[in-house]
Amino acid sequence: MDSDWGSQKFVAEQFSKWYRSNARYISAPPEIMSREFAFLTFEGKTMFRHIGFTDESAFRRYLTDNAPSHSYYSSSYYKHPEAEMNNKGWSGADLVFDIDADHFNLECQKNHDKWLCRNCGKSGVGKPPELCVCGKSQFETETWLCENCLQEAKNETQKLLDILIQDFGFAIKEDLIVNFSGNRGYHVHVRSKNVRFFDQSARREIVDYILATGIKPEYIGFTPRGRGAKSILGDEGWRGRAGKAMYDFIDSTPPEIIRSLDLGRTLTQNLIEKKTDILKTLENNHPSFVIQKFASKDEERVMADLEKLLTKAIKQQSADIDTVVTTDIHRLIRLPNTLHGKSGWQTQTIKPEHLSDYDPLTSAVVLKGTDIRLFVRWAPKIRIGDTVYGPYEGEEVSVPLPVALFLLCKKGAKVVN
Amino acid sequence: MLERDAAKYPFLKEAAKLVDALNIQLNDLADPVYSKVLNRATERVTEAILEGVVESKLDDYMTELLSYPVASMLVSVKGESFLDRRYALAEAVRIYFLLMKEDTKTLFEIAINEFNWDLKEAKENFDGQSYTFKLFFSNYLHSSNSFHEDKWKLVNRVLKNGYVLLQQNEVARLIQGEVEMLIKERVSIRPKFDLPEPIKQKLDEITKVFEENRRKIGAEDLPTEVIREAFPPCIRYCMEGLLSGRRASHMERFALTSFLINIGMPTESIVDLYVSVTDFDESLTRYQIEHIAGLKGNKTRYTPPLCDTLRTHGICRNKDNICERIKHPLSYYRRKARLINPVQEKNSPSNNNQG
Repeated sequence: MDSDWGSQKFVAEQFSKWYRSNARYISAPPEIMSREFAFLTFEGKTMFRHIGFTDESAFRRYLTDNAPSHSYYSSSYYKHPEAEMNNKGWSGADLVFDIDADHFNLECQKNHDKWLCRNCGKSGVGKPPELCVCGKSQFETETWLCENCLQEAKNETQKLLDILIQDFGFAIKEDLIVNFSGNRGYHVHVRSKNVRFFDQSARREIVDYILATGIKPEYIGFTPRGRGAKSILGDEGWRGRAGKAMYDFIDSTPPEIIRSLDLGRTLTQNLIEKKTDILKTLENNHPSFVIQKFASKDEERVMADLEKLLTKAIKQQSADIDTVVTTDIHRLIRLPNTLHGKSGWQTQTIKPEHLSDYDPLTSAVVLKGTDIRLFVRWAPKIRIGDTVYGPYEGEEVSVPLPVALFLLCKKGAKVVN
Repeated sequence: MLERDAAKYPFLKEAAKLVDALNIQLNDLADPVYSKVLNRATERVTEAILEGVVESKLDDYMTELLSYPVASMLVSVKGESFLDRRYALAEAVRIYFLLMKEDTKTLFEIAINEFNWDLKEAKENFDGQSYTFKLFFSNYLHSSNSFHEDKWKLVNRVLKNGYVLLQQNEVARLIQGEVEMLIKERVSIRPKFDLPEPIKQKLDEITKVFEENRRKIGAEDLPTEVIREAFPPCIRYCMEGLLSGRRASHMERFALTSFLINIGMPTESIVDLYVSVTDFDESLTRYQIEHIAGLKGNKTRYTPPLCDTLRTHGICRNKDNICERIKHPLSYYRRKARLINPVQEKNSPSNNNQG
């Protein structure tokens, strides 16, 4: 790739200018002396790690002096944050969740993501396949984003917040911090003494809860011999959520898909022909009635079928979090209110109650300025502020500074002198 | 506290105080006066080995009470981590049976005073079961840590506003979990002192029972040769992925590498395996493998992740019936290897001892 795509020097100057006048407004994370910090610069690929600050002014000075391309801090607390990993003295960690549209399978990715096989030169749109036709798995990828991905990421974040608040009882004001990542997603931090010392296995159990990994129908009332009178649709927690998921799945899945699930004959037939009855039963009765009335007597088969249905159905209700980030107790995570070198946007803290109205494409675009002339190699369509830009391909354009920075940070353009 | 209660629940702080007040020293135990205590202590450990549960013998409650710390000491000194776990569980199961017969008040007392639980009364019904307790989720996650049945997974519980609903017998079971951890921690400390002769004899007795039953209770070592046919499905999945060139996650490569190291594949063969099928840099690959093997960096030899962890990260694939009975890929390997290669039994050291 031509090395000047992205006009790094120009971008670095803009970051530096911004940090010089704005670093003073960036708050350091709480318990600054117990955190490790890490930064990337525009010049090199090495991460500067194991950095510690004694106070906020030293922290701000660092940002002003270095204007990093990417800034991180540890979600963990350490006795000696500047020491090597083994000697840091771990003393707890926030519980963090990462939601990244990059992990989703979205139609819009075909419009703005591309891949190229380094081995045979084959290329395509969207996500690369597991293996290229040439048998190798060596891809170069170019991932952009759009309003749709960001909205999907926001929806997942909202679902996560609902679970954290309703089920786990975290306080929306005191315990939860929501950050727009500055690129394709959101981070949620739980800061509470109740979770600070959780080990990996407790964090893993929370991940499984959020994703409903390992959920079994018999524990939410779907058993042939179950007792109980009331419907689970109004229940709290996963009972209600899974109940609703089943209801929606049965309601909205077309017969050909139901048939393709390879469930028992009686159940398949009833799911198609007696759909309304089943839905009514779910609404008014305990789920065991559904089994008694609409499934065969082969208990083992029925339970396996229900599990299959449930696994398909809950995808709508679970929040799509990254399993590795949450279970890692030594995680470095993006530092709020700093700039993201892959977009030129700001990582921003959002009040959870304002999440639904938050528009990253307006709020996080903090660098302002007049038109810049660029040559654009390729860029998909993107709305920034109130204006839609692109798509561009092999052309010279004049765009406002924030748009130019975005195209440059994505390495899709270079500045024309 | 009544001595009888202390004998039932010797792990309680109050019970320990009672024992401490008697100020019995190690050498005192050699005195015939304490032979009953020493015998009962030995019996506690052998019951744990043979039955997996320690019986409660409350008729002679002083012997019962005093034999607990002595039994713990015997296990500590024996220095076999498998026995640590087996003994801790066996004592904890004994507690569970006792707790099942207790009233609500006793459960609350132990849970709150001993383990600092945020436990409250509740009154809810689901699926015809009545839930009379609720426990704060962080306490729940701690105490259920070693439970692997589906019903204990948090996602299969009713969790409301931070509290997990529980039935009375479930509270007892969770206390069992706490007791197990407590005892395990206690016995895994390895003390160094010279034992008086009568205690040494008891330790030999325990060693004999343990060695005779090593295989039966699943404490045998891993096979010495690498048996590829005995790989669990998750590891096969990782291996096939590697061989086909599929992009593998960090967790996938870690699971595979740590597994291969732990079953005794030489580092060199693992390096070859990676380098032959990928375009990984050889020296970097070697460094990473040696790091996992504990030869580099912080010198910790890593074991593969638990089945539960592999499931969370989407690596648990194609489960078979052996998977239903194990919690760790290495246990799968041990079991499957035994099925494939039962001949090995004749050559194992534990059987030689019998001859």
